[in-house]
Amino acid sequence: MREVAIIGIGLHPWGKFSQKTFIDLGVEAVSKALQDAQIQWKEIETICSGIYIWGGNAGHLSGQYLASVFGETGIPIVNVYNACATGASAMRMATMSIASGQVDVALAVGLDISPEGFLGAKSDNPRQDRDVLRWRMVGMPNPVYWALECRKRMEKYGTTAEDLARIKVLLSKYGAENPNSRYKKIYTMEEVLSSKMVSDPLRLYEICATSDGAAAVILCAASKARQYTSNPITVAASTLGSALYGDPTLRISAISAPAKAEAPLLSESYSASQQAYKQAGIGPEDIDVLELPDNSSWHYLQYLETCGFCKEGEAEIMLKEGQTQIGGRLPVCPSGGFASFGEAIGAQATWQVAEVVMQLRGLCGSRQVANAKVGMAQTYGLMGNSGTTILKR
Amino acid sequence: MEMVSAEGKMIPALPDLFTWDEGQVRLISAHCRSCGTYFFPEFHQQHRPGCSRQGIEKVLLNKNGVLKSYTIQYYMPPLPFKASGNITPYVIGLVEFPEGIQIAGIVRECPFEELKIGLDMQVTTFVLYKNDQDQEVVTWAFRPTNPIR
Repeated sequence: MREVAIIGIGLHPWGKFSQKTFIDLGVEAVSKALQDAQIQWKEIETICSGIYIWGGNAGHLSGQYLASVFGETGIPIVNVYNACATGASAMRMATMSIASGQVDVALAVGLDISPEGFLGAKSDNPRQDRDVLRWRMVGMPNPVYWALECRKRMEKYGTTAEDLARIKVLLSKYGAENPNSRYKKIYTMEEVLSSKMVSDPLRLYEICATSDGAAAVILCAASKARQYTSNPITVAASTLGSALYGDPTLRISAISAPAKAEAPLLSESYSASQQAYKQAGIGPEDIDVLELPDNSSWHYLQYLETCGFCKEGEAEIMLKEGQTQIGGRLPVCPSGGFASFGEAIGAQATWQVAEVVMQLRGLCGSRQVANAKVGMAQTYGLMGNSGTTILKR
Repeated sequence: MEMVSAEGKMIPALPDLFTWDEGQVRLISAHCRSCGTYFFPEFHQQHRPGCSRQGIEKVLLNKNGVLKSYTIQYYMPPLPFKASGNITPYVIGLVEFPEGIQIAGIVRECPFEELKIGLDMQVTTFVLYKNDQDQEVVTWAFRPTNPIR
């Protein structure tokens, strides 16, 4: 397998853009990535595009819609949906297309315009879609799932309301300094702790919003990367993981879970990260900067354990001791995280990759993690799918 | 699937999930005799890898379980959730049954301050709304086994 490098990234900033289409957002991200890589559109040899699930037929063929804007060239285009790991799936396909020798240059792109409010159901057949059951019979928006897991954690490890709030306070400082973030306000503990309760114990500012955004990544055979850039970033691992039997997580869309744990919580993310460490030939101790999916403050804590950065029940210690701050042992979400960006299902994984690339290039100014050499982007994943990308400079 | 309760005509919001044929509300599960797994709903199978998937039997879960987690929800969920008006704040609990499966559901008849992991719970119904035929459309729910106050 050939080594693969990232030669360009491009973002459409995160926010709410009701006047724009998903194509507008994608075109801006891809344009910026082409410019960043100093490469011509015609040199792209394959497109791996995230499916935009709220966009009907067009959204399911997002790659073709983008190609028609830039000019159709006959290349293979694959559109992929894997919930939160959609962009990670595009990254993995693009990486494998190059690693296998099929192509030299690939585009991975994710884009999204979220519906207003809680994300709802997309079908009405309860016998084939558990989403229907969780909405109609129990009334369970996504934050309910996170709150149920968070409550278990509080009972088991003594996580406090202050721990949950501290995460938002920390991330809001980083988000305020990130030009691409949606939220620039710096929050105090008092403001977070007095924000509206949504799904007790999770408050409004401890749950990510739903946003619009797009992120594009251009990958190239490492042997040819320096034709385009003096600063290529190596893809050390690009993996996907699915769930393990016996995972005790009450997984989004499910209404039941096994009582006896025979696998780790968030086993899909455990699977993806373990594969990534193996593929990269390194361990969690070698990661200098981490972007994790902080859909809620619970996720922030849980992912530190799921991905092996500390033992079970010790994430609060990492947080309180400042180990997860810039300057600490493992800076977490120096982008500002989902807390400052909001989730944009199809776009967020390629965005996380772009943020890690910027850190490894040393371009993050006041948010820069000093001497960051190895970075990791970790996704969440509805219905048991997750992706991990490890990058090196 | 129309059933008559003491209070009048009730129909489940969706079929094949629970029953109150025996006077007590029971959740409908399926048990795989090959791998031992219990499913809920019974038609969403989740076997152990390598299981022959032979010998799946429909079972009614125990009427009692234990509260393993809970949350109080302060915002009304969007459609397709349907209730007669705004029911917030409402409690959603995760109840563990002796068979070895945890199931989520709305919790009734429990003051918020009494919510506690470890609380004994039993299965009940909750009326979501009345339909055009004046039937009560219900879902399963949980309430404390020992009534509080």
